[in-house]
Amino acid sequence: MTTTATPATGTPVFAVDGLWKVFGPKADRVPGDPALAALDPAELRSRTGCTAAVRDVGFDVRKGEVFVVMGLSGSGKSTLVRCLTRLIEPTAGTIAIDGEDVRAMDGARLRALRRHRAAMVFQHFGLLPHRTVLDNVAYGLEIQGMGRAERREKAAEVVAKVGLEGMEQRRPAQLSGGQRQRVGLARALAVDPEVLLFDEPFSALDPLIRRDMQEEVVRLHREEGRTMVFITHDLQEALKLGDRIALMRDGRVVQLGTPEEIVGSPADDYVRAFVRDVPREQVLTVRTAMRPAATSEEAATGPGVRPDATVSEAIEAVSRAGTSVRVLDDGRCVGVVDAAALLNVVAGEVATGVGSHADAAAGSRAAGAARMGAAAPAERREPDPAPATTSEEPV
Amino acid sequence: MATLTATAEKTSPPGIRANPTARKLAALALVAAVLVPLAAARWSSGTWPGALTVDVSGPLGRTSDWIIDNRDSHPLFLHFLGHVSNAVVISVRAVYLALLAVGWAGVTGVCALVAWRVAGVRLALGTAGAFLACGLLGMWVPTMQTLALMVVAVAVSVLVGMVLGLAAGLSGRMDRILRPVLDTMQVLPAFAYLLPVVLVFGIGVPAAVLATVVYAAPPMARLTALGLRGADKEVLEAVESLGTTARQRLLTARLPLARRELLLGLNQTIMMALSMAVIASVIGAGGLGDRVYQALASVDVGAALAAGVPIVLLAVVLDRVTGAAGARLGQEPAPHARALWAAALAAAAAVAVAGRLTDRLEWPDGWVVGIAEPVNRAVGWMTDHLYSGVPVVGGTADWAGRFTTWVLDPLRDGLQWLPWWSVLLVVAGLAWVIGTWRTALTATSAMAAIGVLGVWKPSLDTLSQVLAAVAVTLLVGFATGVAAARSDRVERLLRPVLDVFQTMPQFVYLIPVVALFGVGRAPAVAAAVVYALPAVVRITTQGLRQVDPAALEAARSLGATSGQQLRQVQLPLARPALLLAVNQGVVLVLAVVIIGGLVGGGALGYDVVFGLAQGDLATGLVAGAAIVCLGLMLDRVTQPTERRARKGA
Repeated sequence: MTTTATPATGTPVFAVDGLWKVFGPKADRVPGDPALAALDPAELRSRTGCTAAVRDVGFDVRKGEVFVVMGLSGSGKSTLVRCLTRLIEPTAGTIAIDGEDVRAMDGARLRALRRHRAAMVFQHFGLLPHRTVLDNVAYGLEIQGMGRAERREKAAEVVAKVGLEGMEQRRPAQLSGGQRQRVGLARALAVDPEVLLFDEPFSALDPLIRRDMQEEVVRLHREEGRTMVFITHDLQEALKLGDRIALMRDGRVVQLGTPEEIVGSPADDYVRAFVRDVPREQVLTVRTAMRPAATSEEAATGPGVRPDATVSEAIEAVSRAGTSVRVLDDGRCVGVVDAAALLNVVAGEVATGVGSHADAAAGSRAAGAARMGAAAPAERREPDPAPATTSEEPV
Repeated sequence: MATLTATAEKTSPPGIRANPTARKLAALALVAAVLVPLAAARWSSGTWPGALTVDVSGPLGRTSDWIIDNRDSHPLFLHFLGHVSNAVVISVRAVYLALLAVGWAGVTGVCALVAWRVAGVRLALGTAGAFLACGLLGMWVPTMQTLALMVVAVAVSVLVGMVLGLAAGLSGRMDRILRPVLDTMQVLPAFAYLLPVVLVFGIGVPAAVLATVVYAAPPMARLTALGLRGADKEVLEAVESLGTTARQRLLTARLPLARRELLLGLNQTIMMALSMAVIASVIGAGGLGDRVYQALASVDVGAALAAGVPIVLLAVVLDRVTGAAGARLGQEPAPHARALWAAALAAAAAVAVAGRLTDRLEWPDGWVVGIAEPVNRAVGWMTDHLYSGVPVVGGTADWAGRFTTWVLDPLRDGLQWLPWWSVLLVVAGLAWVIGTWRTALTATSAMAAIGVLGVWKPSLDTLSQVLAAVAVTLLVGFATGVAAARSDRVERLLRPVLDVFQTMPQFVYLIPVVALFGVGRAPAVAAAVVYALPAVVRITTQGLRQVDPAALEAARSLGATSGQQLRQVQLPLARPALLLAVNQGVVLVLAVVIIGGLVGGGALGYDVVFGLAQGDLATGLVAGAAIVCLGLMLDRVTQPTERRARKGA
């Protein structure tokens, strides 16, 4: 059931395991002490004066995927992304980039990581107000020591790529919010990083501009295939951009899975409440609604749809055909969907047949993701840690 | 849970606000009940008991003698302070000679063209006009002397201020150490800085420059630190996320982001340096301040005015040009900025060379307009006709006399009659009610230190002048502030006046009051009132205007009259601003009341001047220490819980 996610190949870009970030006095003792680690946030604060922003989080970011971390404000997602390049120093746990331990890096290696391998885009853009657009974009190259002419030439290319031609000599104050974020994006792209980190980049923008920028990111990802870690509090955005989504609450990952898994089989009531208003037919695929073909005749004739087509696409096909439709994987019929099953999905009913299996599997998977931290210490020493996520499990 | 605490917080404030005051006063009364009978029984005099004073004039005199004896032989002087002193003398001399070598046309041209590039055409014309006016008044050479001293002092102040500011901006510990020191230095009267410098360097240019640096560097340090600390956190994070080193962060992000504060710091440093460079004429600075000082000493108002006008012009020009540079920061740089700069500099050089070739370096004597004579005639006429005996209203001297007899004398005698412990008690009570127990402790200790130093009586004399001046200032200032806040027209009329008055150095205010009221304590108080008034009016107006419009609208919608709005909404909500106005008023008044010692204000200011004039540094230093204590005490007593950045005057 690896629908949209790129198959895992080799070392993950980021491998995070058992990660903690605790703010407060003597923060170090919290992750190590099982009694303290088990406390809920309010109790922890009253007992120790500490706030655990990230609690025992583990996940892998695979090469080429868009990995979304979603949660409400205060859920620890922004802290988490800053821990990846140690803009915030983690309290405990391991972070590896391409298998290299980030927490063990010295100042120079860490700077090299930030300069060349991971670049970040910020919610409020973080542009330098006294520099022109071009010099802002070239800033990352400038601090690497690149000469003026060369870095300006490179920056001009990237400025064109994000659609800001003709604005090179403006100052950030003269740009609209969307344009400023394009500058922020260009600055991150200019250093040609291996992975792009986005910290709620579009939250401060108007809805229409936000959609434009989301499409810009989709386009960039399609064109360049760059790995992205994307933080957002907007579920629509997460579903639209994410190959996989980690849903955070109170510093923990409560569910990690594809958009379809999150919407189709929420791990708990919190996630269920979160995804309740999502138009399910646009996220779930026909796999959720299909049943095995009843007769060989049903499996051989009639119009077909792809297995990763959304339910809403299948509804269109069914209503056009007036009968049930086959689900074809490489020309082989893997099942059949009819109007009733599709309507059930839209209505949020538990689908029969294959769908219910998927539900159960995804549910246990989410539970596995939440439990993962507890099992992590045993895995930590392994030279090539097995991918901690569980979505590769065969369904 | 959450709602419970919220409602609890909502209902509690009236109770809490009434309670702590009562609690604090009760605690104080308890302490007093134990200590006062004890103290009164042992040392039952109205004034500070002799048993509790420590005579420091002996050791101070010996220190002063030792320094004078060893100034030419001790290694500390030979290898360190001597070099400092020489460096200062040489650089001031070099700048002065350079200014003279460029000639009056060159200096005027260069300054006007720099003003043009930095601040626009109008200010360029204003700058040129101001310099020409200095020449016309026959004050070209003193103006250049003051300018030379200021250039050196400002350069050193900016350097020192930047270094301290960088330390405080980058290190939290340095910030915690430096902040209270810098805060305190900013509330101390300029006069307090003179004597320690004179003790080390003797009277002369080095002492004047160093006193100016000590006085003018703190605002630069404070604003540098403020700018570095106030930078947009996300920008710094973004810069860090790109892998900058600490050095790159400082040079490419933190300092550029703090440009506005740095320029504001430069502006304030220049203004304070000018103010101090003029006052430092008392310790040998020379230049314009010296002319004013000499003229005031012989009550020659005309000569004082001829030297005072250039000071004011210089102040206004410097303030406006540096201020405009700060205001232009956010704007797009004009096209061809570099070419225009080059053109401006070339033109200035041409003017200077032309002046040199035509041999017109010195201001031609024929172009001097002597205003001293006519001014003195006018003052003479005023003395004859307005001083006294004007029907119904009485003359200015009559007013001054009455103010002295009916307000200053009773206030001074009353304060001096009060038992010393009751003064301490009042100080402690006021400071505690307005601030915290810390401020109360500092204020009371400072007041006690005055007694210990043995200058209780003159200090209370100074205090009485300060209190009278503050009362008048607040009365007039609040009334004007309320008027300006309620009427746009009044504010529009007041603004240019306040702008000019806030930029003038303290010293200049003595000239008109001497012309009007002669010498004595009343003119000192009048000068203090005029000096402190603009700040009080401005803070009051701003405070009232910044009251939440929604609250005002709500009151209006309930049918409140404008008087009710003012009393029940605006004034209570503007309370922090009003407290700040009181604090500023007190600090500024003290600064000028002390300088009033030069025009017969007596008390501590006179002790300082006397000490300087007679070479009796011990007396002067004790008075200086008492001024510091008095300044600390007055500031802490009126210190609102949260101090805001203020415009140094």
